[in-house]
Amino acid sequence: MSGAVLAAQGMRKSYQSGDRRIEVLRGVDLAVGAGESVSIRGESGSGKSTLLNLLAGLDAPDGGTLAWGGEPAQANRRAGFLGIVFQSFYLIPEIDALANVLMAARMVKAPGAAERARAKELIARVGLAERATHLPAQLSGGERQRVAVARALMNSPKLLLADEPTGNLDEHTGDAVVELLLGLCRETQTALVLVTHNTAYAAKTGRQLFLRDGALS
Amino acid sequence: MPWYIYLAFKQLFPSGRFPFFTAISVLGVTLGVAVLIIVTSVMGGFGYEIRRMIVETEGEIDVKATGYLSDPKDVLAQITAIPGVAAATPYVKSVVGVQANGRPAYPIFRGVEVSTIESVANLSRFTNPRGALANLDDDGVVVSSQLATSLGVRVGDKIEVYSPLLIEKLKNDEVFFPREFRVVGELYIGHQQLDSSTIYGTLRAAQELYGLGRSVHGIYVRVKPGIDEHGVVAQLNATLPRATTRAYSWMESWADFLWVLNLEKSINFFLLLFIVIIAAFSVMSSLLISVVRKTREIGLLGALGARPRDVALCFCAQAFIIGLTGTAIGVGVGFGVLAIRNDLVHGIARLMQRQDTLRQFYQFSDLPSHTLTSDLVLTVVAAIFVSTLAGLLPAWRAARLKPVEALRSE
Ligand SMILES: Nc1ncnc2c1ncn2[C@@H]1O[C@H](COP(=O)(O)OP(=O)(O)OP(=O)(O)O)[C@@H](O)[C@H]1O
Ligand SMILES: [Mg+2]
Repeated sequence: MSGAVLAAQGMRKSYQSGDRRIEVLRGVDLAVGAGESVSIRGESGSGKSTLLNLLAGLDAPDGGTLAWGGEPAQANRRAGFLGIVFQSFYLIPEIDALANVLMAARMVKAPGAAERARAKELIARVGLAERATHLPAQLSGGERQRVAVARALMNSPKLLLADEPTGNLDEHTGDAVVELLLGLCRETQTALVLVTHNTAYAAKTGRQLFLRDGALS
Repeated sequence: MPWYIYLAFKQLFPSGRFPFFTAISVLGVTLGVAVLIIVTSVMGGFGYEIRRMIVETEGEIDVKATGYLSDPKDVLAQITAIPGVAAATPYVKSVVGVQANGRPAYPIFRGVEVSTIESVANLSRFTNPRGALANLDDDGVVVSSQLATSLGVRVGDKIEVYSPLLIEKLKNDEVFFPREFRVVGELYIGHQQLDSSTIYGTLRAAQELYGLGRSVHGIYVRVKPGIDEHGVVAQLNATLPRATTRAYSWMESWADFLWVLNLEKSINFFLLLFIVIIAAFSVMSSLLISVVRKTREIGLLGALGARPRDVALCFCAQAFIIGLTGTAIGVGVGFGVLAIRNDLVHGIARLMQRQDTLRQFYQFSDLPSHTLTSDLVLTVVAAIFVSTLAGLLPAWRAARLKPVEALRSE
């Protein structure tokens, strides 16, 4: 697909464990258009996280090509191009919620007034205006994940990758976070790849895929 | 501010607090720097006092004659004509043999002009009785304290002095008698090097001992306060005839001794630097622990787009900030302790009931201190440099972490 935000072709990845070689991905093709939302489901250990890390450029594939916005994926483009939300929230414990959101902007350049305003706006958008100056330790799991969502959106990415963002949350909180993710991506025309076990969440995305035997279907 | 500097600050001082780990790391550097400053300053103080003693007993400049100056009056006039010269006095200086109570010694006999010596050297401050030198006649001598002790003489005793001239007479089968002098005073300057074996007599007595006539060996020069002696030395050497005289600053005359003094200080500096190095090891180990503890966050930084180089800089910056903070506090503590050093020393002496011992055995009843800017700069730079080095290993470990594996770690 030309003009795709994300275009992956023939992505392969295997791990050596002991004297056995586990082929986790055996040629995954995936193209995601601007503003499109895609869900990926699969059994535990099927390679969803592995795939997402490859798509994010965090890990090198054994084979295949990866393009972001029509151009070859390169690590130095990542901060400006895509946002990632993990199952664990990985907030930096020493700085408050707002500063955690701003951290994404700092990776690109020293934040100015515009970035600060955007971070405040995002914090408000995920419903944490009151909690902006709280340290991660002072936030609940759901609140932390919402900070992580705001952080992923900080640099106005074209693509958001979410790896079981509700995995550590109770059902009610998880629902809220997924609603938030989908809503924000729709609003900002951000493409979304959502890895989840939950059929109900998957149903809310534009396209539902399964990862099985190392390939998407 | 780049993110890694920002994060370095936040990790060391989260929301303005001064956490335990940071405090311990900083404290190590602080101690090292404070001790370095105190010791180099006190040693510098001893050096400074010794300089004062040398200058007060010999003047800042020694115009030495190659051989001897047969007409010191002319040269004296030339010297005192130079602006910056406060006073000048001729001297004769050579080795003699001395005997008293059947004990021999071979001290240096310094013949000085009694009328002018005090304008160059404040020797009377160091004599017992005071002013013994000013009242010296041609048959009297002032003996340095250690020499007096080893000869077993006191004020009022007689000593016999043999000069090399007598050997000449002996060769010619002439009868000779040693010259007899009366000890009129003892000289106690308070420094081993200066007190060990010197006899002060009048210029005329010394000239007679050596058969010099009116000649002298050289001229001590005192520089006006605030004038750089090296400039005057250069001027003297330009003015005076090169064939007969050469001017040396006290530093040049005492170069060997000063070198040893400096060596002592350097050795001390390097030994004490080990406190900072050990502190740096504690900085390193706590930063290494921090890297392990924050593995997932480091992985996250990578996921957010941080380059390994910047992650490394984040940890190097932490080591640098610890070094900088520790050094800054250490400089403050060092100077603080120096400011109250005498109260401390006297307090300890009083506690141990040893005030008199202190006064007796130390050359100075107060602890001297003189901080050289060069020592201070060296201490500060070395401490910050060593601390920053300590950040390299943790930084390398952090930079090597692969984001995916770091995020996966439990
Ligand atoms: N670094 C690694 N070394 C060896 N094997 C690995 C490594 N990372 C992943 N694997 C293996 O690859 C397979 C896929 O792992 P992955 O984490 O992608 O699964 P997943 O689909 O995300 O599972 P889950 O739903 O439980 O999160 C698993 O069998 C796992 O054991
Ligand atoms: Mg997974």
